[in-house]
Amino acid sequence: MSEIPTAITGVGVFMPRMVGVDAFMSQTWSDEDATPNAELLDRRSRRRTSVLTRAMADVCAQAFAESAHDPSTIGAVFGSALGEAGTMIGLLEQMWRLYEPPSPMAFATSVHNAASGVVSIGTKNRGFTTSIGADFDTPAMALIEARAWALTHREPVLVVCADEPAPAKLVGDNHEWGFVAAAITLAPHAVDGLPALGHLQIGTADVERSPLQDAEARNPVAGILDLIYAIRSGRSGRVALDRGRGHGWTVDLRAAP
Amino acid sequence: MTENIPLPITGAAICNALGPTRSVVRDALYEGRSGLTPCTVDVPFATYAGAIDVPLPALPTELEPWTTRTAQIALMLVEELGESLQRMQSRWRPDRIAVVLGTSTAGADRTEAAYQHYIKNDELPEGYDLWRHHTYGAILHVVCSLIGATGPSWVISTACTSSAKPFASAQRMIAADMVDAVLVGGIDTLCAMTLRGFHSLGALSSEPTRPFSAERKGISIGEGGAFVLVERPGTTHRADSGDGGAEKDAIAWLDGVGESSDAYHISAPHPKGEGAVLAMQRALDQAGCAAGEIDHINAHGTGTTHNDSAEANAIFSLFGDRVPVVSTKAYTGHTLGGAGATEAVIAMIALDEGWIPPALGVEPVDPKVPIQIEASRVETPIRRVLSNSFAFGGNNISLLLRRA
Repeated sequence: MSEIPTAITGVGVFMPRMVGVDAFMSQTWSDEDATPNAELLDRRSRRRTSVLTRAMADVCAQAFAESAHDPSTIGAVFGSALGEAGTMIGLLEQMWRLYEPPSPMAFATSVHNAASGVVSIGTKNRGFTTSIGADFDTPAMALIEARAWALTHREPVLVVCADEPAPAKLVGDNHEWGFVAAAITLAPHAVDGLPALGHLQIGTADVERSPLQDAEARNPVAGILDLIYAIRSGRSGRVALDRGRGHGWTVDLRAAP
Repeated sequence: MTENIPLPITGAAICNALGPTRSVVRDALYEGRSGLTPCTVDVPFATYAGAIDVPLPALPTELEPWTTRTAQIALMLVEELGESLQRMQSRWRPDRIAVVLGTSTAGADRTEAAYQHYIKNDELPEGYDLWRHHTYGAILHVVCSLIGATGPSWVISTACTSSAKPFASAQRMIAADMVDAVLVGGIDTLCAMTLRGFHSLGALSSEPTRPFSAERKGISIGEGGAFVLVERPGTTHRADSGDGGAEKDAIAWLDGVGESSDAYHISAPHPKGEGAVLAMQRALDQAGCAAGEIDHINAHGTGTTHNDSAEANAIFSLFGDRVPVVSTKAYTGHTLGGAGATEAVIAMIALDEGWIPPALGVEPVDPKVPIQIEASRVETPIRRVLSNSFAFGGNNISLLLRRA
């Protein structure tokens, strides 16, 4: 797989009790759940979209603020294992328990690419955006898709990974997890003074994982937090992109000098 | 812009309401025979749908726990790829073969049934497993196991562009030397939630869909999908393959891909089709192709007034009324996450054989649609074709395919 490194230019993190990268790095947990404010979105989208979509918008905004990339032109890869599963459950409840027609707006925002769509609307971006899922390999596959975009189009790209708690009715007790949303922006070349991502492969990691609590560690996209933790800790080496339930994809990380 | 590296397409399989193989689908298109029939899914309104009405194969024993309608359709498609798949496998190492699929529903039909059971009994039915029956990883596991691929694999879920976008992912991964071959495509199956959802939006037709007709009443939903093999041209990585390269097996070429966003509305297209224009123009630019070199367009053509109008305006702004256009959703129904790959394969049939299927039910053509749409089959040499897909979220893609 391509050896050409891409520079890491910005990151963003949202967990209901840990908002922002600084809180994540210092492991400062709040006593109360925060709600995403989604100021990146237009007012209508903000009102109509799910917490998942709004959290994705917030981590985009954090990464844009750090990277200074133009939100109206940057390519974007949104990754989520289950996507708008909560919205889907709401639709199923409407159909099968309440015998009501599904809400048109809930149906329109139940698509996996709801966040990808409303962020493009909010940022007036007419460029490339996509929405992918690969269960516990979602962070790795989102990074592969994003790196392929950056390397071939020679343009910056945004990677967002998020999953809300899985619907307990469908997954059972042993698969519940905490809410995680995170974003990374990549530039297509190595940039002096910035950390860089390189080769993605199935292999053994040699960089220690972030100190996540159990609930967040079970989230299918927890690997993106481990990567952000390694980036901000100034580590170099091979970082695991899943917590044991994926196929073992790793990415080479080179710390900023 | 991506470097222009035309990629050989070396295999294609398709399955939908018209039939379970490319040759059966081809015959139905040639004869102008629709696969739409009165919908049998339990919904409280009358509509037509494109249902697959042939028995689906059982998965191999080791994959039985992953059995879903989506997985069974995937098995049919893999089996139809047959020798073309074997040739691809002989050319490339398993870790250099990727799988990128599109779906919007994944295993929603099975989850719907499970949830109905849950509401009645307060527990999920025995045997239901979200990770094997619903998530994207489930269908990836089945397809990767069936073809022995160990490279990157993911599902794109961008509603109605889901199975066209894997072509773009394949193009990028091959250009970036991440992989050598990609199985692309996608599948959607009929389920109550999509039928009821489109009905709630006022977009579902009570009769077979009639895209671009003055008398159209909306969308007909369908099920099915298509798988396509996209490979790197030139030298193979396996010296023992005894193979001169994928281009000698090309059945068509992927010359260009254009992706764009409307940045306008979550479920309505830009009225002037500005995002659609961008997607088509970017595909032309990437292929180094002028608008005058396009011989045919397989339109997204859903059969709603807004969508048809936006797309027709977009096509007219780039091509005028010179290029024959058809929406084959009048044959298959709108297969949603399976539509992009389905229509790409139908476009390849047009390229290969030099005819464009009749636009079913189009007469009287909407006088506000300024593009060329023919109610009868058009026999014409076709060298290049565009296949359009547009989706919720304002997500757009146009594929530019060339005859082999």
